[in-house]
Amino acid sequence: MNIYLLQIANGVGIGMLYFLLAVGLSIVFGLLRFVNFSHGAFFLLGAYFCFQLGEMGVNFWWSLLVAPIVVGLFAFLVERFVLRHIYALPHHFHILFTVGLALVLQEAVISYWGPLGNNISPPDILQGVVMAGGFVYPKYRLFVIAFTAVMALLLWWILEGTRLGSIVRAGSESTEMVSLLGLNIDRIFSLVFALGAFTAGLAGALAAPIRGVEPFMGVEALGIAFVVVVIGGLGSFSGALVGGILVGIVQSVMSTVWSEGAHLMIYVAMAAVMLLRPNGLLGRAS
Amino acid sequence: MKHIAHFRFTLLAIAVVLLLPLCVGSGTLATEVLIFALAALGCNLLLGYTGLMSFGQGIFFGIGSYATGLALLHLKAPLLISLAIAAVIGGLIALLVGWFSIRQRGTYFVMLTLAFAQMFYFLAYTMKDITGGDNGLLDIPRPNLSVLGHTLLPTTTSWQYYSFVAILFVVVFWLLQRVVDSVLGRTLLAVRDNEARASAVGYDVTLLKLAAFVISGAVTGLAGGLHAMMTGVAPLSNIEYHTSESILIMTVIGGTGNLFASVLGASFYVLVGNWLSTLWPRWLMLLGFLLIGVSLYMHKGLYGLAQSLLRRLRPGEKPTVDVVKEIH
Repeated sequence: MNIYLLQIANGVGIGMLYFLLAVGLSIVFGLLRFVNFSHGAFFLLGAYFCFQLGEMGVNFWWSLLVAPIVVGLFAFLVERFVLRHIYALPHHFHILFTVGLALVLQEAVISYWGPLGNNISPPDILQGVVMAGGFVYPKYRLFVIAFTAVMALLLWWILEGTRLGSIVRAGSESTEMVSLLGLNIDRIFSLVFALGAFTAGLAGALAAPIRGVEPFMGVEALGIAFVVVVIGGLGSFSGALVGGILVGIVQSVMSTVWSEGAHLMIYVAMAAVMLLRPNGLLGRAS
Repeated sequence: MKHIAHFRFTLLAIAVVLLLPLCVGSGTLATEVLIFALAALGCNLLLGYTGLMSFGQGIFFGIGSYATGLALLHLKAPLLISLAIAAVIGGLIALLVGWFSIRQRGTYFVMLTLAFAQMFYFLAYTMKDITGGDNGLLDIPRPNLSVLGHTLLPTTTSWQYYSFVAILFVVVFWLLQRVVDSVLGRTLLAVRDNEARASAVGYDVTLLKLAAFVISGAVTGLAGGLHAMMTGVAPLSNIEYHTSESILIMTVIGGTGNLFASVLGASFYVLVGNWLSTLWPRWLMLLGFLLIGVSLYMHKGLYGLAQSLLRRLRPGEKPTVDVVKEIH
């Protein structure tokens, strides 16, 4: 029985990462109304920047801060100078644009860092395990849970407690209305797109010491992020949280029961939720 | 004259089939063009005629490969039967995936197709006994086309196989052209252009979309089966997300809403890819830029580009209004 409790605890750790990965996708969708297919590539970039900074001798904490900021800045510039010009087109073109961008980024990563994976070790202070009442838990994963929980609170506060957040929420209801009120919705679009990329990059940087880096982790992350938002409900903050943790637990528990099928079961869980609640666990009817 | 105009696209497809051996030195490469053209046709039926953007075409392609491979290896099935099995299973899986995904509109649909692509990839990866897992199905034979022991068409050399694929390709192209010109095709366009209106007029939108999805899955499954026979293996990579992405990209680059555009897109993708990949292994990056370019400036793809060039060459002629508009 203990092994399952441990796997559930592990699952919460992975699930919090999945939440961080998916929440940006969800927020960007809420405002911009299209699914960002380069979200996985932003995750990939975050992980590789973190790896590169580590190779250059930068300490992990700085990497954790700098890598996502660089990803966010990059996304900001892309939105500002290119993506912005195709908002008037049908959504298909937004998706195609982000698919193209993801392909360019993935190939850029392969040409710079090579097609093979690399490992990153967590900082010295987070190496090893914590023992508590018969449980053994890696320190780094404990840190990830605490850190993402703080990030979740921070994001929640940004969305619910700040002026920017209320503009974003209002924009999700009606962008036209917001701009009629005299607010600069264009700037909000850039900011939100950058924020989404920042969270994806942060998730990538946090995941790097757990799973290592390899060029195809972006596609895998995109698939998982989609599952999380489909399970939780698109455009919903709490949906991403519930979906993320659920997916993490399914993956973690299944890896003890049937390790080869752990990834498969994530998608089976998604199909099951689709059957029972087509709009996701916490999604509103569209 | 009107008669010829009706068949002009099929004639163009036949022209491509006849021209390919003159332009391409390798029979395998020429065959690959036609196989991916078939897959792109299936994708175009969804994207260009029904307005469904599917990131899951690799599911049907991969499953078609496995189906044909298994039929040839274990059932010793004849050529056409094993391909028919690929098409039928492709269609059935499309029915299943479609039934789940089509109930969701727009964005959810697009995300679900990608999620299902990942699901079937992991499924194929886990079912090692059937699919061979990472190694794939190996040593798939390529029987001749024969009836009652008489060989009608040998498929031993790559150019012989090309002729067989070419005939099949022209037949499928003609059939699909019939479909899009039929009442069903026109109704699908109505669904694409305004789903709410089509539904209000009394069409069962979900059923129509599902029909398009099944046809698309069958054609793509057939393409996958042909591919497995061409290479003699059904690799795991045929069912990977990358295959789905490639099929969608060649469809978009070719242009949507006209079946022949997909033939252009697939030819471009396979031939340019084959040429560039020897020069620079990371040629996919250029493809990414091209996709960005298409979404920014060239919404009708290569076909649209060719159309406007032709129009410029014939200044006297009034620009014709195409019934098929670009996707919405």
